[in-house]
Amino acid sequence: MGLISSIKIAKRALTRRKTKNFSAILAIALGVTLMVGIQITTDTLENAFLTSLLIREGEVDIRFSNGTGGFLSAADESNISALVPDALAIMSELQSSGPAMIGSQFEPSVSMAGIPLDYNEAFGNFYDWDTGEVMDISTYLADNSSVLLSSSLAEDMDINKSTELPINLTTEFTSITIVPKLNESTGFPILNETTGFPILELQITEERVILSITEIFDSRRPGIGASYRGVLFSLDAYQDWMSLQDPLRNKDIIGAYLITYQTDHFSTPIDETVLQEKFDALEERLPVKMVNDQEVNVYAIDSSRLLYIGLIDLIFGLMSSFLNVLGLLIIITGILLITNVQLMSVEDREFQTGVLRAVGEKRGGIFRSMLFETLFQGIFGGIFGLVGGLIFGQLVALYLVSLFGSGSASVQPLVKESVVIFSVIVGVILGMLTGLLPALRASRVNIVEALRGIKITFEEKSSRNLAFIGVLLSFLGIFFFLNNGIINRNLQYIWLTSGWDNISEWENILLGAGFLFTGLGIVLSRYISRTKAFNLTSIVLWGTPVFMFVVAMGSGWITDMSGSSLNILIIAIIEIVIGSVMLVGMNLPYIMRFLRSTLIKIPGVKGVAQVAPALISSHKTRSTLTFAIFAVVLTLNVTVASLVATNIDSTVGQSEEDSRGIDLYVQLSDPEYNLANTSYTTELYRIDSAITDVIGMKTFKPGSTDYTRYVATKNPFSPDFNPQSNLLPLGFGELRSDQILGDAQNATDDEDWRFDFYMYNLPDGVRPTSIDLGASDEVLLDQSKRAWDKFFDPEYRMTAYNITLDLENFDISNFGGFTASTLEEVDPILDINGSEVQYPIVFTDSFLLPLGMPIWIPFNTSQFGFPVYQPFTIGGSFDSDRAGGWPLSRSMQTEGFSSGSFSGTLGTVYFPERFSSYTDFFGMADELSPDKREPDQFDTYLIKTTYPFDSPAIEDVAQSIEDFTNTKDSGYRKLIGDEFMVATATSLYSKLEASLEMMEQMTNFLQIYVNFGLIIGAVGMAVISVRNVAERKREIGMMRAIGFPRYQVMTAALLELMVLGFIGLIIGVVNGLFVNVGFSNMLDVPVVIPWGTIGAYLSFITFIGLLAGAIPGWVASRIPAAEALRYVG
Amino acid sequence: MFHSNDSEVILKIEGLHKRYNEGKSNEVHALRGIDLEVKKGDMMAIMGPSGCGKTTLLNMIGHLDKNSGGEIHISKIDTNKLSDGQQTAFRRDNIGFIFQLFNLFPFLSAVENVETPLLLQGYNSGIAREQAKMLLRDLGMGDRLYHSPMELSGGQQQRVAVARALITDPAIILGDEPTGDLDSTTSAEVITLFRRINKMNKQTFVLVTHNRWIAEKCDYIVHMIDGKISNMEMGPFKEEK
Ligand SMILES: Nc1ncnc2c1ncn2[C@@H]1O[C@H](COP(=O)(O)OP(=O)(O)OP(=O)(O)O)[C@@H](O)[C@H]1O
Ligand SMILES: [Mg+2]
Repeated sequence: MGLISSIKIAKRALTRRKTKNFSAILAIALGVTLMVGIQITTDTLENAFLTSLLIREGEVDIRFSNGTGGFLSAADESNISALVPDALAIMSELQSSGPAMIGSQFEPSVSMAGIPLDYNEAFGNFYDWDTGEVMDISTYLADNSSVLLSSSLAEDMDINKSTELPINLTTEFTSITIVPKLNESTGFPILNETTGFPILELQITEERVILSITEIFDSRRPGIGASYRGVLFSLDAYQDWMSLQDPLRNKDIIGAYLITYQTDHFSTPIDETVLQEKFDALEERLPVKMVNDQEVNVYAIDSSRLLYIGLIDLIFGLMSSFLNVLGLLIIITGILLITNVQLMSVEDREFQTGVLRAVGEKRGGIFRSMLFETLFQGIFGGIFGLVGGLIFGQLVALYLVSLFGSGSASVQPLVKESVVIFSVIVGVILGMLTGLLPALRASRVNIVEALRGIKITFEEKSSRNLAFIGVLLSFLGIFFFLNNGIINRNLQYIWLTSGWDNISEWENILLGAGFLFTGLGIVLSRYISRTKAFNLTSIVLWGTPVFMFVVAMGSGWITDMSGSSLNILIIAIIEIVIGSVMLVGMNLPYIMRFLRSTLIKIPGVKGVAQVAPALISSHKTRSTLTFAIFAVVLTLNVTVASLVATNIDSTVGQSEEDSRGIDLYVQLSDPEYNLANTSYTTELYRIDSAITDVIGMKTFKPGSTDYTRYVATKNPFSPDFNPQSNLLPLGFGELRSDQILGDAQNATDDEDWRFDFYMYNLPDGVRPTSIDLGASDEVLLDQSKRAWDKFFDPEYRMTAYNITLDLENFDISNFGGFTASTLEEVDPILDINGSEVQYPIVFTDSFLLPLGMPIWIPFNTSQFGFPVYQPFTIGGSFDSDRAGGWPLSRSMQTEGFSSGSFSGTLGTVYFPERFSSYTDFFGMADELSPDKREPDQFDTYLIKTTYPFDSPAIEDVAQSIEDFTNTKDSGYRKLIGDEFMVATATSLYSKLEASLEMMEQMTNFLQIYVNFGLIIGAVGMAVISVRNVAERKREIGMMRAIGFPRYQVMTAALLELMVLGFIGLIIGVVNGLFVNVGFSNMLDVPVVIPWGTIGAYLSFITFIGLLAGAIPGWVASRIPAAEALRYVG
Repeated sequence: MFHSNDSEVILKIEGLHKRYNEGKSNEVHALRGIDLEVKKGDMMAIMGPSGCGKTTLLNMIGHLDKNSGGEIHISKIDTNKLSDGQQTAFRRDNIGFIFQLFNLFPFLSAVENVETPLLLQGYNSGIAREQAKMLLRDLGMGDRLYHSPMELSGGQQQRVAVARALITDPAIILGDEPTGDLDSTTSAEVITLFRRINKMNKQTFVLVTHNRWIAEKCDYIVHMIDGKISNMEMGPFKEEK
């Protein structure tokens, strides 16, 4: 037969067997929807993060600033232009920040910038917030008191589009003048005794200025406006104001020169590798000058764009790989579905093939006609799936807008062509392969057997080829086992107890056991029954990770949790899923026998009991695939659901204990005033008698362009120091022993400590050699106290370890807060004499800083504008997993990424008080600094009250503190005579709630993600059910003929699906819980079982089973028996 | 009436019609007024050219499909008047079916196939199993109890089907070419079995067959053409045992 007739046969087959074709198409469509949808979601999420950051950079690729601090001048423009001949445009900019008051709204720190009115149009346009039209900013910035406001700030300031313009904005500029020093009693200038000239001194005042906001530009829209989120001046105007800081009133000051290499970065992103190359090359070419016999760069360059891309990789890395694992498993569900539906066609195809062969059709012809049929199914399935995936992606993107939405422009569904093409092709090929392979196989079978409907049995023993693969797999497994100790010498042999005590060893144990026993199963099945052989395999596959989660982690065998905990989770989940599905699948007949013997006792369903379980076990592979769909999806769902519950519950439950008595904290927008008779602390005690303790502290956060105050993660004087990747904008905090210890002397002092919170990583000398996950709270607190003793001990030094942090090559597996460190596997840094390098220690709440790493903190600024760096060793980190842990941290959870404050996100470094006098930021080093502070001038206050931790009365206290501080002309403002002071009082409980909310949002997203799999699984079930019933028409006719009442026919169809659904559910719940036990053991939090959610899944499965089984069953039971009997497939 | 005998009438059909696709352009008038009486213990054969309505007639008797007019009385009950549920129960208790092909549930073993009708009647599963085993042993299938249909020969499958039809001790057994798929030796075995049961239990058999030789084993033969009964041949035929 020729091509035409093959097509004809295919066409006839397609039109005649509508249900079957429809179900095949639907299955492929669903599978492809999953693949496309999941990919789009993951990509979109990552893109949303990135664009929400990049949009702030506008069109700027690289910034030039003064290499030694201070300003640049107009004269630098030509030099810089010459350095970047390939730049498209260059623009000058002057940025700083200050307070702003609009109406009654006050913002302590608003970014202010001046840009030239004739800036190059390559940097983009400003758009009117109201009309959306392009703005010519020069018409609005006529003089030095006219400014533009960004829409982001406008929204924060409660200004809306209908607010009448212009409106006033009050701010302050620092003014420094040189005045003769006056004799306090006479009022005359004091003269220098030798020269006879008056002694001069600097007078520093804050000049209050009223500016006029003439227009508001849209800062959420890509363009130059997006990079200015505060107040915008003309460059000349801002130079005027800033020059007040200079006693000489020099106005030729430029903060930075901005370089762009192209236009429209938002729609056509710049190639980051090209940019990186340009950046690196430029760095080599930077001119140098000599300062103090040291070579320093005249210019400093940075590229936030590159930094953001690096950071996004880092922050998104964990999230992304988690999503990818989920996505992978969900995609497996799709594959299961396609395979399942196509497998149903096998018997079908065999009969068809038999008939065709009997009437003389050649193999080639049969193959061709089936090829057309599956091709048709594949292509249509692929197209529908693509559409479904796109719709899904769109919906998720909408959800993401509400989740991260800092501007709708920043979240667009990202559809990568390659991903779409790949998914569709995979779906189509999969559909065709799973449809064609059995057919091909059928075309080779005996015609007579095919006609008689003899099933191809899958029970045959393994072939020799398969056994060979089994041997290979076994060797692979042994290789993984040997990896411990023999190949990788850092790990211990498996036959030693110490070979079972860390995560990396377990990774090899899991992989080794998995491969070895899969191989063994295959080999053994040649000699013993396949069921027995694979029972062994599946028990090991399932049992090993469960054992690890429950026993090894639960009873503290695994003492070292460092290493890739994510890998272990992934491997364990995959093994658990495969093992459990295989185990149940292999023993399905036994389970069904049990089911039958139970049901057959119930009057009215005896007929059902006779057929439904038998049907399930007669199609073992198919049934297994069916429940596997739910097993996989539900394992994920239950894992996610119980992870959330575990986290949330442990957070709430432990938070009171963890907060160590702190109920709320207050942050001032500026350090408190140095008042003669009182202090802010004293005032706080007066506000409410319930306040029992106020711990004042000093903190500091560097501005976004204030590189001289960034922490260096490499020695800044070493030749390979790279400001691009070795500087971090971390916050600083000063800790005094009276704040922590109170009246206690040291760790052994039984006196109540004032604020003895939990430490996570501990310094040398305190840290136990192995980490005991089951350690009690008392033990942990005791360790923490001993850590504090080291912290405040001026003699104590800790070895610096050879750990580097490179933003560009950040290793996510060392993710700070994720694993406790023993520092066993890293070497100390040695000096040229071979002795260990030791520094004083700092503590941190930043997840970026691993224990033992050396860092360099910029202290007081030298006369050349160059910071003096003091090296420290990271001696410990606060336990940020313990709710209250460190009330000042956890900003990442509450602020998220949309606030754009990286120092908030990246955390803070805390050093002991004895270093404070060397810093500018705490104000004592440099008497000239406008930040000058007295030892007790605090900005942050931790407060204990008599109320319980979660009492609403604490909110009232917080409110009275804010009222006291923030009310015009009264309270604290009246005391200090300054309206520019704002307090934010936050109760720890509300902070907790906020972080729980953020967590819930994230997990809601994860839920949606995994529920998508559940829904597809449910639809898949319906498809399978329709298919089942359609195919069993003849049996149904026979059932009716021998006296099955309609309801039993329906119940049989229903039961089959329900049973498979429930098996899936049970496997899913059990697996999910085990994974969760493991996860909570890893994080050392109690397990919480989300019975509510599990109940919801139960009802969902029941509902789906009822619907998916009952409808086709009902339809089938309505078909006249005579007609059903005539059905031959 | 084609047949008269003084013993009790078990099946009485009057003016039975069946139209497929009624009112549509492809309407088929498959039965055009069938009148028939079968007495208890009769063994009747139906013969006729392909497409003349034999299968349709059996389906009407068993109420596997709705008829388009006429009356069917089985054991004096007007079965047309019963609801679908009642018809099913009636069929379960009074009628046994044996078909030509794919007669058994492929996913159940021989004994399970046979016991199913008893389970439907509400029997305890242990008792049902014992009865099914006994009947299969009687039919010479004692050593094939737990085989699946696919592991049985055509004749063996048919014997299991017979057992399933007989297990509830129905008054009437309807067979649509029960030997159609079998070779002559096996066919002979099956028809001999029918005869034996018929003699022993006084059960009524209505068998559709194309095989004259089989038909002649029956008491009489009804010939159908074009949806009508054309004539009837009375036995006994030559070598009846
Ligand atoms: N479900 C149906 N729809 C439409 N027409 C039908 C249907 N079933 C049977 N027929 C038609 O009714 C007529 C009688 O069919 P029936 O199956 O009773 O014939 P038969 O005598 O059993 O033939 P055979 O000896 O070939 O089995 C035929 O013409 C057939 O085409
Ligand atoms: Mg027929």
